[in-house]
Amino acid sequence: MVRTYETVFITQPTLTDEEENAAVDALAAVVSDAGGVFTTKDRMGRRRLAYPIKKFEDGVYTRFLYDAKAEVPKELDRRLRITDKVIRHMTVCLEPDWAVAAKEQAVRDAEARAQAEAARAAGLLEEPAEEAPAKPRRDERDEDDVEFGDED
Amino acid sequence: MGDYGSRDMGGMRENGGGPGGRGPGGPRGGGPRAGGRRRFLFRRRKYCKFCEDKAQWVDYKDIRTLQNYIPERAKVLPRRISGTCATHQRQLMQAIKRARNLALIPFTSD
Repeated sequence: MVRTYETVFITQPTLTDEEENAAVDALAAVVSDAGGVFTTKDRMGRRRLAYPIKKFEDGVYTRFLYDAKAEVPKELDRRLRITDKVIRHMTVCLEPDWAVAAKEQAVRDAEARAQAEAARAAGLLEEPAEEAPAKPRRDERDEDDVEFGDED
Repeated sequence: MGDYGSRDMGGMRENGGGPGGRGPGGPRGGGPRAGGRRRFLFRRRKYCKFCEDKAQWVDYKDIRTLQNYIPERAKVLPRRISGTCATHQRQLMQAIKRARNLALIPFTSD
């Protein structure tokens, strides 16, 4: 039975671009060769880890979203565990209706990225801002919700 | 024997009945206690923000959203404070645990 799986893994921040691409392609090949169909191979980018993993403070996140049979994520998981360039990984099986939403979102994201890319190529857009830091950020509306007791 | 018996019984009754009867019939009756009652004026009604957004699911990669539910110590904000509905609180818990495993949000922070 074909299900939708989402695999996110973190690669070492010290890798060069070529090394990283080679590793990602090798892992992607595991899925495609076993008959998996990719919706997206998303490089989520480099970000600071919330806690150090194997002495690394940063990590490069990559996300695979694909349809495949159950053996595929199993094999991928095995490969991810062997590959020492990957410092952390997780595979999630998506609920059918969530899977549809996730795929649509992935397609929308890809389009948005393509457009941004095109716009940047045309010189209309400046370099995109870095991803927001992982610092805890408290909304004002949150503050309102935390209300205990005495308000006479 | 019969005399002792009856006398004992009488003594028992007196000892048991007397103070026992006085206890509950004391001056303290039931009724509303003064003080201790709080009035909440203009309390904003809590609602589930995920239901509001018509979000189908809570995404573990969406750190911005998750951040709202993990205050300083990175513990999960209880439902009684956030007002999240049971379904979404469950999904939120799952999402937070996944995000923690991927080092997107901390397990603890001091």
